[in-house]
Amino acid sequence: METRPLISVVDDDESVRESLPDLLKEFGFNAQAFSSAEDFLKSDWVGQTNCLILDVAMPGMTGPDLQLELANRRQEIPIVFITAQRDEHVRPRLLAQGAVECLYKPFTETDLLDALNTALRVS
Amino acid sequence: MWVGIYWTKVSVGRRYQSMMDISPGHGHPHGVQDYPENPYDVPDILERLKRAEEALRLSRIGSFTWNLATDEITWSEQLYRIFEFDPQQTVTLELIGTRVHPEDIPLLHDMIERARSAATDFQYEHRLLMPDHSIKYLHLIAHATQNGNGEVEYIGAVQDVTNRRLSEEALGKARSELAHVARVMSLGALTASIAHEVNQPLSGIITNASTCMRMLEADPPNVDGARETVRRTIRDGHRAADVITHLRALFSSKGATTDRVDLNDATREVIALSLSELQGNRVILRVELANDLPPVTGDRVQLQQVILNLLRNASDAMSSVDDRPRQLLIRTRQDGDGGVRLSVQDTGKGFEPENINKLFNAFYTTKSDGMGIGLSVSRSIIEKHNGSLWATANDGPGATFSFSIPRFVEAAAARRG
Repeated sequence: METRPLISVVDDDESVRESLPDLLKEFGFNAQAFSSAEDFLKSDWVGQTNCLILDVAMPGMTGPDLQLELANRRQEIPIVFITAQRDEHVRPRLLAQGAVECLYKPFTETDLLDALNTALRVS
Repeated sequence: MWVGIYWTKVSVGRRYQSMMDISPGHGHPHGVQDYPENPYDVPDILERLKRAEEALRLSRIGSFTWNLATDEITWSEQLYRIFEFDPQQTVTLELIGTRVHPEDIPLLHDMIERARSAATDFQYEHRLLMPDHSIKYLHLIAHATQNGNGEVEYIGAVQDVTNRRLSEEALGKARSELAHVARVMSLGALTASIAHEVNQPLSGIITNASTCMRMLEADPPNVDGARETVRRTIRDGHRAADVITHLRALFSSKGATTDRVDLNDATREVIALSLSELQGNRVILRVELANDLPPVTGDRVQLQQVILNLLRNASDAMSSVDDRPRQLLIRTRQDGDGGVRLSVQDTGKGFEPENINKLFNAFYTTKSDGMGIGLSVSRSIIEKHNGSLWATANDGPGATFSFSIPRFVEAAAARRG
């Protein structure tokens, strides 16, 4: 039986945590949402996550912090960053650090699906 | 403020009484302290006048008399130097007219006409066009007196203010450029702030709508799921609208700033709101709120936004600190000058002294993911409250951000009502 890839969403914004998992399920993925990077790291889902959709700016551990932490732990999860701050300097830096994509909120479902497909091919 | 001293070279003894300060309300600089006690001590007067003339020369002030009845005009040496006329020349209005800038000739005629008809004190500014085509700016001030013959005589002083005018012009130009930059910057800050706050709910709206579409297109359609996504879409739409309303209130000039606000209460509410965030960042919070704090005049919500911003900044500044406690001290107290002060002290990474002026610029940030808007908006809010917001480096690690605003005055509220 084919198992659906697990996409984990880490975002402190509640509307994202509510809406994105439903869309991901409609895409045919499994989805989990976490309100902070710390919560995600503490959870049992890290090892099972096939792709991470990660907010850039969060209180406490930020998205890029989590990216580095995962790299340190040798957890090679492809990351799609999402951010509400359109900063042309941040995006290239995140991509250089190995992120698959960095989408500016609000993004279209096509852009999201393209990014996820790229991410899952990478893994 | 400047002082004009009048004398004529021909009749010092007779005219020394006229030595006067024509700039009211100020002392007598340049050693011209008192009128001489003995009116016949001419050598002493001459010595004083010599010193006064030297002072006037240094301050580029010339002096004159102008007898309206005879049109007799006398000039000090310094005035000849300013006009670059030969001291032997007899000064007439016509001669003066040859030096006055052509564009200011009407001004000169107007001045002469008014001086003749009104015989009252006057002052005006005009330009000279010198033989080498350079331009001098002069400030003239004249005082009407009556001489021994009962004739109206103006005594006055002329100061060469060219340097001042040129620097004023440069300053004015710099000011208007600065004002433009500030307007653009605040607009940019506003735009970025709106974009960020609105993009969050917009993201929710688009994601929910996409999900809704897919649920309805499924066979059979998932109507319950679709209904839920529509509910969330509506909620996020309202959330976006709230952001706009909120921002408009924040930046509108009519913002009510005359409420009576207990800054301690306002601070306690902000602390309660941000406690979990602070604890999540392992911040040790110390609160020292003054017992006898007088109320302040202001907009409670706006002031709380500033406090929240300072708390978050302090917390963020300590997020990378692991070799010392992340201590945050929030304190209120009465200011010396009748105001109320709130300060937020952290043990974070602090700031470089050379960056102290940049801290409050929109888009200046020490955070990798910050927009650098918070402090510039905070400062504009505090300034709207007739207060000031500033930063100081701690003796130890970290920084302290403080604001001070005037205490509540009953009259301010009465005026509103």
